[in-house]
Amino acid sequence: MDMEFSVVLVVSLFVAIGSTNEVVIRKGRGKGSMWWGIAMAGEPNNISPLKPGLSYMDPSVHGTLRKKQRRLARENPGVLDAIAKGANMAIHECQYQFRNRRWNCSTKNFLRGKNLFGKIVDRGCRETAFIYAITSAAVTHAIARACSEGSIDTCNCEYSHHKSRPRMYSSSRGSVPGVREWEWGGCSDNIGFGVEFAREFVDTGERGRSLREKMNLHNNEAGRMHVQSQMRQECKCHGMSGSCTVKTCWMRLPSFRIIGDNLKDRFDGASRVMASNAGNSRTNHAHNNRRKEPSSNDLLSSNSIHSKRERKPRRNKHGFQLKPYNPDHKPPGSKDLVYFEPSPGFCERNTKLGIPGTHGRHCNDTSIGVDGCDLMCCGRGYRTEVIEAVERCLCTFHWCCEVKCDLCRTKKTVHRCL
Amino acid sequence: MPGTILENLSGRKLSVLVSILLVFQITCFLIGGLVAPSPAGSQDVIARVCVDRNPEDKDFKKWFIPKTCTAVDLEQQQSTKVLNASNLVLAFQMPLFNYDFSRWQQNLVGVLQIDMVQRKGHKLEPVIELTLDARLAYRNKHDPDDKWTYHTHAEEKRIMDCSVDEVHDIEKDGYPYVCSSVPLFELGSLHHDFYLLNLRLPVDNNKNIHVGHISDIHLHIIYMNGGFTKVWLSLKSFFFPLILGIIIWFWRRVHILTRTPALLEYMLLALGITLAFLDLPIELLTLYFDMPYMLLLSDIRQGIFYGMLLSFWLIFAGEHMLIQDSGERSSLKMYWKHLSAVIIGCFSLLIFDLCERGVQLRNPFYSIWVTPIGTNLALSFIILAGISASMYFIFLCYMIWKVFKNISIKRAVLPSMSSARRLHYEGIIYRFNFLMLATVICAAATIISFILNQVAEGQNKWDENMDIDMSSALYTGIFGMWNVYICAMLMLYAPSHKQWPVESVCGESGEEVEFSRLPTDPSPNEISSLTSFASKASID
Repeated sequence: MDMEFSVVLVVSLFVAIGSTNEVVIRKGRGKGSMWWGIAMAGEPNNISPLKPGLSYMDPSVHGTLRKKQRRLARENPGVLDAIAKGANMAIHECQYQFRNRRWNCSTKNFLRGKNLFGKIVDRGCRETAFIYAITSAAVTHAIARACSEGSIDTCNCEYSHHKSRPRMYSSSRGSVPGVREWEWGGCSDNIGFGVEFAREFVDTGERGRSLREKMNLHNNEAGRMHVQSQMRQECKCHGMSGSCTVKTCWMRLPSFRIIGDNLKDRFDGASRVMASNAGNSRTNHAHNNRRKEPSSNDLLSSNSIHSKRERKPRRNKHGFQLKPYNPDHKPPGSKDLVYFEPSPGFCERNTKLGIPGTHGRHCNDTSIGVDGCDLMCCGRGYRTEVIEAVERCLCTFHWCCEVKCDLCRTKKTVHRCL
Repeated sequence: MPGTILENLSGRKLSVLVSILLVFQITCFLIGGLVAPSPAGSQDVIARVCVDRNPEDKDFKKWFIPKTCTAVDLEQQQSTKVLNASNLVLAFQMPLFNYDFSRWQQNLVGVLQIDMVQRKGHKLEPVIELTLDARLAYRNKHDPDDKWTYHTHAEEKRIMDCSVDEVHDIEKDGYPYVCSSVPLFELGSLHHDFYLLNLRLPVDNNKNIHVGHISDIHLHIIYMNGGFTKVWLSLKSFFFPLILGIIIWFWRRVHILTRTPALLEYMLLALGITLAFLDLPIELLTLYFDMPYMLLLSDIRQGIFYGMLLSFWLIFAGEHMLIQDSGERSSLKMYWKHLSAVIIGCFSLLIFDLCERGVQLRNPFYSIWVTPIGTNLALSFIILAGISASMYFIFLCYMIWKVFKNISIKRAVLPSMSSARRLHYEGIIYRFNFLMLATVICAAATIISFILNQVAEGQNKWDENMDIDMSSALYTGIFGMWNVYICAMLMLYAPSHKQWPVESVCGESGEEVEFSRLPTDPSPNEISSLTSFASKASID
């Protein structure tokens, strides 16, 4: 009893802290994206890495989450670790994909109330589109993976592909929810849970009807679609004498690097959109493409923004479609990234937008691409120095954990932008 | 003397019978589609890499449980720095998510998937030989949490094929290799509630030297779905007494005749018995007893049934050859050439099965496909079976073609016969063709469903909203079809008790003509008037 009371007290305390934090955030901009900060929650300066589980009560975590996200974290123990892992994966992948570009996906030191990726997310530009898509994809991926690890107990067979059927049997005996369903029809692939959960968790906060929120929702969905569409089927025959009279297939979760590559391609071909109030079309593409609507009584979707929006008739009044800025272009597909503002120049330091500039960045003097010194340094020129580097080379890998490398001394020419 | 029921049955009764059988057939199909879930389910389990502090201690009581062991992350070099391969144990607990296996889930197949990533400056061999030290333990629901009981232990080899997704670029870092999954184990009985797999990749004696940088190890477990087993066993329990009743009825009919049973009647009886054996729901015993030989037994049961069915077709065609070479009774000995193909095929498959699933009774991690000798042995048995299968089909097609040719020759003589006799023979030929057609349809349906199952895998649903499971529907549909087919054979080929001369029972419409036997039938030993017709025609 005492315990319970103190928990309530602590929760309310944190809610109070959380709400003061939310006031600090600039209204309407990126308010759905504060959870990115969870990536830093696992860092040594915040909590000890040896500690096995993140709790939604940790102050470093708590401040970054919205009320609904905290509820989701409370109801699904274990997801926070997965989300933190996913967020780190997203940052790592974003920095890998943009290592040779003027904007290199740098993250700020985490400060409460500031966005992890800096003020660039305040703009509705390509880079922001990519950040939203890759973080959403990473959460989907990480949750699906965590399910396979068995670290989230709630990713059970609720999202099973034969959804309606097992319910008939669940009423008769039910010590642990879903046991009858499990015995009757097994489980579906974890990606279903990953996508549904990511939709609930990531899309929360994009509640408004502005173009910016539409853009965020579209890009979030695009990220999830990329994970889902990269799933590869694998089968095993186990019929009579091992023949293929009985064959069972499952989906193989793609490597996140592949998803990053694909999203980068979409970044390069992102569509600029604008709001169109003309058609009273029902909803935008990303949402049309959704596989299945979560049923209203499902645990996760009980407070779903989608089901809410879909149920309310007034949606039509504000439900505008994303229309290509250039009327000759095709309307954006479900896997395309969309933006509506041109990107700012990333050449010079801009504190207003939180852009560090390309001063001091490495560049490649032989390349004519964005990583080439001409483009990277924005015509400012570059400084060349020759350094002697000791690098690992001719590595061989042995299971496990043994990397045998030679150390090579090489003279390297390094170019840095002025 | 009596003919078979098929010949003496009126068109209307035949159509009623056929429609009843069709209803059974459609019901089987719908039960599979609407009630049963898909036949098998799978779960993806990612290994937890546990640390074994003293690997020298080879104690089989030491188990690493994913939830409680000290784990490391293979991605983080920090955590694996002081460790080597013998320290690392990959622990998998099955099933995931607080569930436990139900005995309705029958059996368990494990497939191992090793995800490797490319590291800068490293090139992977395209074919990697894995050596796996696998230990399996089980626990039951009411056991204490850490009481794992030893099940099996084996050190096995597996071959894994790897390729890089894109053009191999040695400078690329972090890209995945695409490696094939390797089958790991097959448990013939799922008797316990939880299973624990502890896997090691030993490196002594140059084992696993080509293994690259591993990011994740997945174990895909496949089990029968409990719901499907229930539906399947219900179908079997329904058909078993039915087929048993029909066999008894059939054999009594044969027995009350004054003559000794003909070869075809023996064959029908044997076919019925093998079907009854196939239908016998002995899987129900697995709910109470640990029967790891269930997989092997069900293979054998199916094998016996199919072997019998194939032999039956051969003899069925042979008995309707319409060639009366001598007056002696046909016996199995006459068909030894034809049947040898079936027997050789069945035996080679049996030996293969015993080599694979038979050995798996002792060691579930065993696979015949790993060693080159084993692969050659298995392949030779399968090729032998394939050759006998094709030999058989050539034989069968030749015989059926001959039957049809003879029928068409004899048909040419028909106009010269008296009208009653002609009507009679035409009816028999029609019904013989009808049954041939039924056989062809059944065989075609089986093959088509097999192809459909292969092609439409994964998307075996017509519509997301329609809750129809195609693969289950196909399985139960085909199972029901062969049951219905053999029931029909037993019923239609049972001796008719209608005695000659019978008053031609004309229905109200007057179209119904009950065919009765002709007064001039010579040999009382013939099974059907068709063969007697043949002999008569050859005498003509």
